Amino acid sequence: MGNKQISARNALRYGDLYTRLSAVVMGAGLIGHKQIVKGLLVLLFQAAFVFYMINTGIHSLSMMPSLGTQEQGKVWNEAKQIFEYTTGDNSQQILLAGVVALFVIAAIIVLWILQMRHSYKIQLIKEQGGHVPTLKEDLRSLLDQNLHMTLMTLPCLGILIFNIVPLVYMISMAFTTYSKEDNHLMLFDWDGLHQFQRVLNMNGNIGRQFWHVLAWTIVWAIFATFLNYILGMILAMIINRKDTKGKGFWRFCFVLSIAVPQFVTLMIMNIMLQPSGAINVLLQNLGLISSPLPFWQNAMWARITIIVINLWVGIPYTMLQVTGILQNIPNELYEAAKMDGAGPVRIFFKITLPYMLFVTTPYLISSFVGNINNFNVIYLLSGGGPTYVGDTAGQTDLLVTWLYKLTVDQQYYNLGAVIGIMTFIILTIVTLVTYRNSTSYKNEEAFM
Amino acid sequence: MTTMAEKNRMSPRRRAVNVLVHLLLAVLALIWVLPIFWIILTSFRAEPGAYTNTFLPQGYTLNNYVKLLTDRNVLNFPKMFKNTLIIAVCCCICSTFFVLSVSYSLSRMRFRFRKPYMNIAMILGLFPGFMAMIAQYFILKAMGLTEGSLIRIGLIIVYSACTGLGFQIAKGFFDTIPRSIDEAAVMDGATQWQVFTRITMPLSKPIVIYTVMTSFIAPWVDFIFAKVLCRANADQFTVAIGLWNMLQKEYIYQWYTCFAAGAVLISIPIAALFLYMQRFYVEGMSGAVKG
Amino acid sequence: MATVSLQHIQKIYPNTVEEKKRKKKDDDAPKRKNNLKITEEGVVAVDDFNLEIADKEFIVLVGPSGCGKSTTLRMVAGLEDITRGDLYIDGVRMNDVAPKDRDIAMVFQNYALYPHMTVRQNLEFPLELRHVPKEQMNKQVNEAAEILGITEYLERKPKALSGGQRQRVAIGRAIVREPKVLLMDEPLSNLDAKLRNQMRAEIIKLRQRIDTTFIYVTHDQTEAMTLGDRIVIMKDGEIQQIGTPQEVFNKPVNTFVAGFIGMPQMNFYDGQLKLENDQYVVEVQGARIIPSEDKQERLKKHNVPAMQVTVGARPEHITLDEREGAMMEGRVDVSEMMGSSVHIHLNSDGNDSIIIVPTLDLGDRTLRTGDTVRFTFAPNVLHLFDPETGRNLEY
Repeated sequence: MGNKQISARNALRYGDLYTRLSAVVMGAGLIGHKQIVKGLLVLLFQAAFVFYMINTGIHSLSMMPSLGTQEQGKVWNEAKQIFEYTTGDNSQQILLAGVVALFVIAAIIVLWILQMRHSYKIQLIKEQGGHVPTLKEDLRSLLDQNLHMTLMTLPCLGILIFNIVPLVYMISMAFTTYSKEDNHLMLFDWDGLHQFQRVLNMNGNIGRQFWHVLAWTIVWAIFATFLNYILGMILAMIINRKDTKGKGFWRFCFVLSIAVPQFVTLMIMNIMLQPSGAINVLLQNLGLISSPLPFWQNAMWARITIIVINLWVGIPYTMLQVTGILQNIPNELYEAAKMDGAGPVRIFFKITLPYMLFVTTPYLISSFVGNINNFNVIYLLSGGGPTYVGDTAGQTDLLVTWLYKLTVDQQYYNLGAVIGIMTFIILTIVTLVTYRNSTSYKNEEAFM
Repeated sequence: MTTMAEKNRMSPRRRAVNVLVHLLLAVLALIWVLPIFWIILTSFRAEPGAYTNTFLPQGYTLNNYVKLLTDRNVLNFPKMFKNTLIIAVCCCICSTFFVLSVSYSLSRMRFRFRKPYMNIAMILGLFPGFMAMIAQYFILKAMGLTEGSLIRIGLIIVYSACTGLGFQIAKGFFDTIPRSIDEAAVMDGATQWQVFTRITMPLSKPIVIYTVMTSFIAPWVDFIFAKVLCRANADQFTVAIGLWNMLQKEYIYQWYTCFAAGAVLISIPIAALFLYMQRFYVEGMSGAVKG
Repeated sequence: MATVSLQHIQKIYPNTVEEKKRKKKDDDAPKRKNNLKITEEGVVAVDDFNLEIADKEFIVLVGPSGCGKSTTLRMVAGLEDITRGDLYIDGVRMNDVAPKDRDIAMVFQNYALYPHMTVRQNLEFPLELRHVPKEQMNKQVNEAAEILGITEYLERKPKALSGGQRQRVAIGRAIVREPKVLLMDEPLSNLDAKLRNQMRAEIIKLRQRIDTTFIYVTHDQTEAMTLGDRIVIMKDGEIQQIGTPQEVFNKPVNTFVAGFIGMPQMNFYDGQLKLENDQYVVEVQGARIIPSEDKQERLKKHNVPAMQVTVGARPEHITLDEREGAMMEGRVDVSEMMGSSVHIHLNSDGNDSIIIVPTLDLGDRTLRTGDTVRFTFAPNVLHLFDPETGRNLEY
């Protein structure tokens, strides 16, 4: 095969007539080299692409720079003696159509490269007198050495259409004026980095709220992650102690709280902790307090309550996940430490914790990410409140819940998108720094 | 005798510690079980309303359950239950297939797109989950899946489309199955598909069950996507939206105890599934076949 | 039932992207990794492997770990791609043929039985995939089970079997479909010493009962010597020597083979090869040895000049010799009584060596640490190596 790499460039440079022809008529190389069905299929895709571009694609792309100009208007119809509404441009639809068109173009480019390479490869096989796979063999290989194509196609399509495209679409919104502010819901424009400036500017109203929410989000994530982790581990150790009786029963009590759907327990907690909720009633009936405790009304109270309730939610999870790993800690380590005269606290900090941190770094990272994006707990417990007048973000809002409020409730789509991007950037930094250095990433596939 | 003496010498302190530990566990267990216990009590409470002056109910009744299961006018719980069940079954089939396919491919096959796929999945996982939600809604709308009973299909798609990103646990499990077993099967004449279905799947029962159950449970407990997609289409509501609605201002006084009843009703099967699954969860975490 | 021919086989593991990046950073990166050659393309795990295997031959690939023997076997099996070179089975080129179409079976080191199937199902699996009719399948399974003596375990799951039984099942699964070539990848290394000896004998017997070409990989030279018709000794991805057990034992081509084959290891000494009156003389630690006639002839044929040499002598060829004069002298470090023989670890001139003395020869004499003994070796069994290249000067 010489040392010629099979690439689209080499296909153009060294390809034969058919291979080069497929640069224009996709699939020609395959048809010319007797892979007719495959070639026709590729050709069909090209035809569909051309059809799509002529029909809507070109129009969609051409609208992208302006995002529509035609406002919805009223025109006086003399003949009928009424106002007629003219349909205006809908910027949001234009943007979506444009994003989709870009993805379609990207897809056809990928397909073009693949078919160039493929027809060049077949050409080389032919030139060397090798065997060109028949359609039957190709189909059979989809269940054998190419099984991953069969298995991965649908999931990948799902991710592409329902995750990547929407994300790109939302990200692009951050650079527009799409917002209820100044009535830009129907018709909006590109806005550059203006919204980012607003969010990052500490002196503005939005900027002030952003830094506030960010600070709380990080405090929350740190508390939620590490308190849950350490307390869950201690609970697991207490239950697994040699002398503890009824291990199964205790474990059952705690696991029961995971088994009940989270949103149910959270909503119940919310009700129980209201001023006239069960907890306040209980405490008042017992005579411990005279007036209800402001669990959700005071910012500090609300924050602490949330962290504590999150412990209630999270500790059993940690306990469950950690139990197995705890039992894997070599017993000799403990025995050696005991011989050296270390007490239980020292043993925990010198042996158990370092070992666990070493093994469970990926778990910790993902739970940190999960906590920064922990929508349910905040939204169902405090709803982000208490909220000061004039603010969109409450005192316990995380970036995610604020994002939800900004988009779904307030319809400040551009601001919401900016918040989403900021969240992503923060998480990327955290993850890259820790994940890259963790052993389990490096050893995912060690050289044999 | 010496051992007995030693034991006696040790025991007062040790016993005190033991008693303390058990007491602590009892208190903790109480804290964890109390809210669950309270909601069960509430579901049998005779007095309506969310807030009462007593911690424990004054009278008990089954009416909450009866109302929940028979009242079809305001909040049609049986219908919601049926909706959710249909969605859960379909979603369960799709996502199980997606998750297992992706996990198997990433664990067992070697292809150029493998590393990039895992990196992309990691990056996508860093975006707030429902940042894409609004756009998903628009896309489904463009497909015409946001009206009438098509909403169900929309929900099924939303719930299962991105499950291919959640491959970590299953892949981790597959990784622990010795590669030589696959190679032996290949030498014996199996295609990759046969290795997947006849060797890997039977060996991975815990993780298959785990995947089936988690994907079955998801539609029962999500209310964000369901809310956005269903909007005001009351006859397409899922259980989660129904329960959520019962706690909104307009319903809470009439429906609070029914909410408790509904919560108990859907918690029982889910709890049962979960308690059953817990074993597989732990097994899945700690790896599969040895030897 | 088949010939196998490996021609200029090469296996290169391509550099990963990260390694390429690293290489760009510092150009004087080490040119070898675990002693394997590294080229532009990647790590060379097997280099220029040539071997013609006759029908029904039993070939053993042997070498230290990381020498490429398993990689070679896996390339024959089709589990690894062949980077360069050609593989023929019965004259048909097999490079691009899928493993299942090569009519090859393989026994794995860790047995690789299917844990969820019974022994019978394990044995049936390869036949079932080939759509063998039920009746014939039964017959073949029973035959194979009979040969290996596992008939009574047929309905058990692998978990309920001992290591030795599992290994029999693994072999059974490989032979049940009567493959052309049977590959074995360190099949005995998971067994304890006693079972290993037993199974080794069984494999020899098995060989007489089934007509198949065997390729067997091991790191254990005893297994190689006892099982192989021919042995291929590998090191760092390259073949060192191919030959019958006698050949590699008696005529090792270099110091590596000499040291690898034979237990305990061959002893090496620095010596001087001299030409005196048209006759080669070896001087080792003050001792003067005149090589035997045939060795003289071979050395002359190769025109070996007088030079520094490495002298090799196997422990069993060294004899105690108490006469004064041109003998070597050493201090006893340890003396191990092995029963019929005594292994004496000596230190002579800073050189460690082992000699094996029949217990009878020692008579009532006991050797203690620190004792001084004299020894010599027969002129017809010493080996002379080039100290630079390690090559045997005679061949």
